[in-house]
Amino acid sequence: MSEHAILIRNMNKYYGSFHVLKNINLEVKRGERIVICGPSGSGKSTLIRCINRLEEHQSGDIEVMGTMLDENVDHIDEIRREAGMVFQNFNLFPHMTILENCTLAPILVRKIDRVEAEKTAMEYLARVKIPEQANKYPGELSGGQQQRVAIARALCMNPELMLFDEPTSALDPEMISEVLDVMVGLAEDGMTMVCVTHEMGFARQVADRVVFMADGQVIEQGEPETFFENPQNDRTKTFLSQVLGH
Amino acid sequence: MSISNSVSHDGMRTSMFGAIRKKYFATRTDIIVSSVLAVAVVWLLVNVIDWAFVNAVFGAGKREECLAAEGACWSVIASRWRIVLFGLYPFEEQWRSGVACLIMVIVAVLSCVPYFWNAKRLTVLWLSGFGIFYVLMRGGFLGLTPVFEQNWGGLALTVFIFAAVCILGMPLAIVFALLRRSELPWISRTMGLIIDTIRSLPLLTIMFTFAIVSPFVLPDWAIGDKLYRVIVGYAIFFACYQAEIIRGGIQALPAGQEEAAKALGMGYWHRVGYIVLPQAFRNALPPTINQIVITFKETSLVTIIGFFDVMASGRAASGNAEWSFAHVEVYFFVALIFFVFVFSLSRYGAYLERRLGVGRR
Repeated sequence: MSEHAILIRNMNKYYGSFHVLKNINLEVKRGERIVICGPSGSGKSTLIRCINRLEEHQSGDIEVMGTMLDENVDHIDEIRREAGMVFQNFNLFPHMTILENCTLAPILVRKIDRVEAEKTAMEYLARVKIPEQANKYPGELSGGQQQRVAIARALCMNPELMLFDEPTSALDPEMISEVLDVMVGLAEDGMTMVCVTHEMGFARQVADRVVFMADGQVIEQGEPETFFENPQNDRTKTFLSQVLGH
Repeated sequence: MSISNSVSHDGMRTSMFGAIRKKYFATRTDIIVSSVLAVAVVWLLVNVIDWAFVNAVFGAGKREECLAAEGACWSVIASRWRIVLFGLYPFEEQWRSGVACLIMVIVAVLSCVPYFWNAKRLTVLWLSGFGIFYVLMRGGFLGLTPVFEQNWGGLALTVFIFAAVCILGMPLAIVFALLRRSELPWISRTMGLIIDTIRSLPLLTIMFTFAIVSPFVLPDWAIGDKLYRVIVGYAIFFACYQAEIIRGGIQALPAGQEEAAKALGMGYWHRVGYIVLPQAFRNALPPTINQIVITFKETSLVTIIGFFDVMASGRAASGNAEWSFAHVEVYFFVALIFFVFVFSLSRYGAYLERRLGVGRR
């Protein structure tokens, strides 16, 4: 097995003639926790969405858990099974209960039987501290609760790595910490995580490496201490002074 | 009838008369409008009741009394209802036609029960109900005399055409809607062109084409009975409209829904079957019910190409010298049949909307 969870080499992505991601190189080792940050429009969400082919890249290689991401649909499915994703807007299925949200994919995709899938789902719901909501519908939950369900739903697929696309950006301020707590817990359990976020406190606390992007390029990356205390690039300095300044 | 004073100012519970006074007789204009309308409504009611009940003649075979009476002649219904309901279906076998209709009504009622609310159970229910309907109507086994489609008629034929069009048209509509949304441009454009073409043709033209013209073009084995050609044509017509309704329901979904399903590793058919279509149908429920109601009513167009549906058999019921004076009553009866079906359909739709709204917000 490859020691890398994610390997991105010379990857480029265009929207029409607009060059969104420019020659991206990124390695994520198993068990590593990466935080990607940068000003809006820098391509960080696009990058994370390329990893499980929600967006298609035009050149270069992406390898996830040793599987090459190419036109082969089996490869795409394989990668999607192994990479759980949490979205900014939760994207729970509103016509299904919390429990059904968590068991649908394990039953359909992993072919686990219903009883087993429900047991696993209840364990993860307990872990994100909302087992009592299992039979409610997403619309009856608060934003923070919905996002915790979304994390549990992704975990129910028993993924090898987790992708977070600005998981706290759509939340009311008082609900951010309950979601971050769950994510910190995941990191402590050794989950491989790639997280696009503006939560610099979270980055400091759990990240093994912080990646800074601007204009579709990786500008700078490093361990949180060096990255925050001693940024090298001017754009990084400007960005940090803006997000940490107040 | 003003709506301006519908809230009581003192916030206290007012008596019923007080409430009526406040709602309908608050100002001088209110008094005039309300009184005039009240008089008109009462006058209309009195006349209708006089005609329909007080001066009416009930009971079979009372033609002479009918001619003498001023009110409605319900005697025509009592004498000729079997023609309206069953058309040319052989008289001794009409119980089969009746039972068959009853079974479809039961199927419709059962589909209102939440137990049947998933695609599998609904499909099984409707297909088996329809199967029993067909077998009973057609006969030719277990000692049931065969009755061929050209002898089917009345309400039974209307129900048959309606149910067949929906059962055939709904899956077709889903296929059309999915093709219309295909990522391959030439597929989606071709489907769009087909849908737009058929939608720009009148239903009657399509029925004519399928009933009369298509036999010249189709190979012999594909011609089949005229009834089925009409049903296929009508089903395609239905599917084109319904496909656009479903597509609208799909487009109302946030893109995140499909992305979330993709990210969980769900394949195309799983995404369509479990995430996209269930939500699309919820979004599209009001126009879908609308489409089904229209489909039921427009079955009466088949009269024009020589089928004996409930409209045509109604005309036949009063079409002989004996009862021709009573055609208004027969049309009333036919209208009542349509009303019962369509009204229950729309009430059921309204109930579904309320029920499915639960848990969304």
